[in-house]
Amino acid sequence: MAFEYELPDVGEGVAEGEIVAWHVAPGDHVDEDEVLADVETDKAIVDLPSPVAGTIRELHAEEGDVVEVGGVVVTIDVDDEASEQPEDASEPDESTTAAESSEPALKGADGETPVPEGRVFAPPNVRRLARELGVDITAVDGSGPSGRITEGDVRSAAEAEEPERKSAVTKRSDAGDKKSAVTKRSDTPDGDRKSAVTKRTTAGGTDSSASAEDHAESADRDRTVAVPAARKLAAEHGVDIDGVPTEKSRDGEPFVEVEDIEAYVETRQRAEPATEPSETTTAAGTPATAAEARPVSREPYQGIRRTIGDQLQAASSEIPHATHHDTAVVDELVATRERLNERADERLTYLPFVLQAVVAALDRHPVMNTELDEDAAEIKYKEYYNIGIATATEAGLMVPVVEDVDAKRLPELSAEISELIERARSREISREEMQGGTFTVTNFGAVGGEYATPIINRPETAILGVGELRQRPVVDDAGEVVPAQTLPLSLSIDHRVIDGAEAAQFTNTVIEYLETPSLLLLE
Amino acid sequence: MVVGDVTTGTDVLVIGGGPGGYVATIRAGQLDLDVTLVEMDAYGGACLNRGCIPSKALISATDLAHTAGAAEEMGVYADPAVDMQGMISWKDKLVRRLTNGVESLCERAGANLIEGRAEFDDTHRARIVKSGDGQGSESVEFEHAVVATGSKPIEIPNFEFDGDRILSSEHALALETVPMSLLVVGGGYIGMELATVYQKLGCDVTVIEQLQDALPGYEADVTEVVRERAEELGVDFRFGRTAKNWEGTGDGLILRTENEDDEREEFTGEKCLVAVGRRPVTETLNLDAVDIETEDGFIATDDRARTSLEHVFAVGDVAGEPMLAHTAFKEGEVAAEVIAGEPAALDSQAVPAAVFTDPEIGTVGMTADEASEAGYDPVVGQMPLRASGRALTLNEPEGFVRVVADSETGFILGAQIVGPDASELVAELAVAIELGATLEDVGATIHIHPTLGEAVHEAIKGARQESIHY
Repeated sequence: MAFEYELPDVGEGVAEGEIVAWHVAPGDHVDEDEVLADVETDKAIVDLPSPVAGTIRELHAEEGDVVEVGGVVVTIDVDDEASEQPEDASEPDESTTAAESSEPALKGADGETPVPEGRVFAPPNVRRLARELGVDITAVDGSGPSGRITEGDVRSAAEAEEPERKSAVTKRSDAGDKKSAVTKRSDTPDGDRKSAVTKRTTAGGTDSSASAEDHAESADRDRTVAVPAARKLAAEHGVDIDGVPTEKSRDGEPFVEVEDIEAYVETRQRAEPATEPSETTTAAGTPATAAEARPVSREPYQGIRRTIGDQLQAASSEIPHATHHDTAVVDELVATRERLNERADERLTYLPFVLQAVVAALDRHPVMNTELDEDAAEIKYKEYYNIGIATATEAGLMVPVVEDVDAKRLPELSAEISELIERARSREISREEMQGGTFTVTNFGAVGGEYATPIINRPETAILGVGELRQRPVVDDAGEVVPAQTLPLSLSIDHRVIDGAEAAQFTNTVIEYLETPSLLLLE
Repeated sequence: MVVGDVTTGTDVLVIGGGPGGYVATIRAGQLDLDVTLVEMDAYGGACLNRGCIPSKALISATDLAHTAGAAEEMGVYADPAVDMQGMISWKDKLVRRLTNGVESLCERAGANLIEGRAEFDDTHRARIVKSGDGQGSESVEFEHAVVATGSKPIEIPNFEFDGDRILSSEHALALETVPMSLLVVGGGYIGMELATVYQKLGCDVTVIEQLQDALPGYEADVTEVVRERAEELGVDFRFGRTAKNWEGTGDGLILRTENEDDEREEFTGEKCLVAVGRRPVTETLNLDAVDIETEDGFIATDDRARTSLEHVFAVGDVAGEPMLAHTAFKEGEVAAEVIAGEPAALDSQAVPAAVFTDPEIGTVGMTADEASEAGYDPVVGQMPLRASGRALTLNEPEGFVRVVADSETGFILGAQIVGPDASELVAELAVAIELGATLEDVGATIHIHPTLGEAVHEAIKGARQESIHY
């Protein structure tokens, strides 16, 4: 018996998720709760556990596909039923019975799909597939030209028939549902489900035009679904519709819309003046316009990358940023850390010292630990210190949050920071662990560099960038240029809430603690 | 079981090595089934030995002679002499070549070939009675059987085939001399093809048909082209007359007929060909032993080529109309594939058919009337060959290509072609129908100029009111 697993709401009010990776393939056997896939929502990646034990029949989304909640992601042949229902998908249906009764002399074998009477506008392979999948082809709506039935139409019809057949199982598993939050299946009607799997690029014409260039050479399909208007437009522009790039699909077939063709034609027109002159170009030089024809590679702007981008754009355009730069001379901190590390079980990094200094400074400059509530026309002062640590990962920037930094001792803090960063990098971190920060530290100095212009992590109002700790020349009290361990600091503030002077004062306090770490003992 | 029998076992027992049987055999071999083919006469069946191939050989040869002798208009003057024995031995040679080819194809597919006549002992066992004296018999136990015993010409009362004066089509394809005159009873496709051959060979041919026109089953305007051409060649038609009996004379026979009003008429001729159809061969099978159902003498089959016994299949002429070699091919394939567990079925959207008269007829799918009856609103496109450059250069401008489509969707529903090479031309439209192609699809396809295929193209475009050359 086939179980169609619909994407559950894997977060709070999440509407869609991107399939980042499949851990199973058709034919694999899975146990209940075995992880089927990694699904990425706005900010986190969650495991998608199997609600049943069985054999994977079909994956309905590819890695990178964005699936709406309620969209079917995988069909699983449930174990219990497997013995009763052989894999042969051509199960008996009413039409078989009808054919039998109308022609009692000659019964088809059990489970066979009878050949319909009259014309069927579908090619032989599609008719064969319909028999194989047990689909009554006369009941299939064709999406091809003039309503011709395609392979995709038959497959969709086969999928649509499945839920009816499995209704008994559905009810039973609903009754015994242990973890409804994750395995709850919505009762989306089949019709809606078909469109559930879409590529992010269908969201707008801009994206599809971008992908047109992207795949300008690779799009060479055998077949393409398109409405007549699209085919006509393609013909008018002399465009091979199978060559028009698209990430969209309808009923399992590549689907090209009018806008895709327009975008493709536009791209082609842009490309032509660029490439044609190059044919006549001598070895002397390449025309500047040919730059467009130079090889580029592209990757999708979606998932975490896009989430980061959207956040940063909102922060950057909404918040009037000002950045204050200063440097702490931290010879004493370096020495202190070395001494401590001689005794510590786990080596301390500098970051916990920075965090303690920041918290101590926040305590003295509460305006830095705020949130601007514009709707209420209020500045919200937070009397707790949850410090986010901006962390570079392969997937992009993530900000795990260390809660109640003021209540944690140095070794504890150090261990927690290391663990959070590690889990962010391995993408094991949960959404919750990246929420609720009051102030953020970004340690770009781990990579190198001195000063930067950090962008504030909304809804916070300040962020401290820490440059590379290293020896730099400084002028000492005697007026001599001497080498000293220095830590460059860049503090960006929401200038609506925080004045420049306050930023400078806060930075001074941070520097004070960093330069004289023993002061932290008073905190 | 007879004492002394040898019993062997097989996955698939194919009974009969004609178009249905040998294709089932080869396909079953391809699908790694253990297959045994029993043939009691000659590989290739009636088609290769006594039907399609011999008749086409004679048609081609006589056409060549006739055309060369009737091309003054084209500036060619010739009077070809025909050596009937030479023509027949050429035909026999190529038939041998083809039957040997079929046999070796079956061997290459891994089939076990047995010469003999198979009859059912029970539902899973057949006895093979070997041809030749003292060969004894053999029992074969089978998982599946495919009955492909074919058909033979129908005899009508008082007209037993004697091969001398009363000829079957099989006899008529093996005559060593051209008779002075030939009476042809039956104006169907076999009668018409052979009437044309013998008329062109200089024989005086009269066609006697019970119905009111030749080639029943074809539309009147299609038949008309062929009949008028036959009349032009000198064939006499006598419609509405039933052959009652005959009497031998010194150099031939007198044939007595009656019409609906019991009016008698006599015809004289040197020989009489009776071509009133073919009947299934089931009498050799001992069907009673297995209780396989028949309908009007044919073995009843379902859409999987399966008989009333689930593991026994029947293909080809023995399984009923249309009695065409190419449907037998298809049925043989489907039977083998279904036995192998594949989702095959007899789901062809249309069966093309040809009549190798002068000119040829090629049809596929529905006529306009049939389309209307089936609930379509048909649109028709027709291209007369006199407007075809290629037909004119062939000096064969008679005939037309007609295409029937659904006006709403443009799906091609059928075609009727009468003209030179109509049997070849119809293949394109068969593909179009099988794929569910529309008028626009075929209309948008480039056709070679100058060919007869362009006429198909024009007819298609004509149905869209877009024809260019007509």
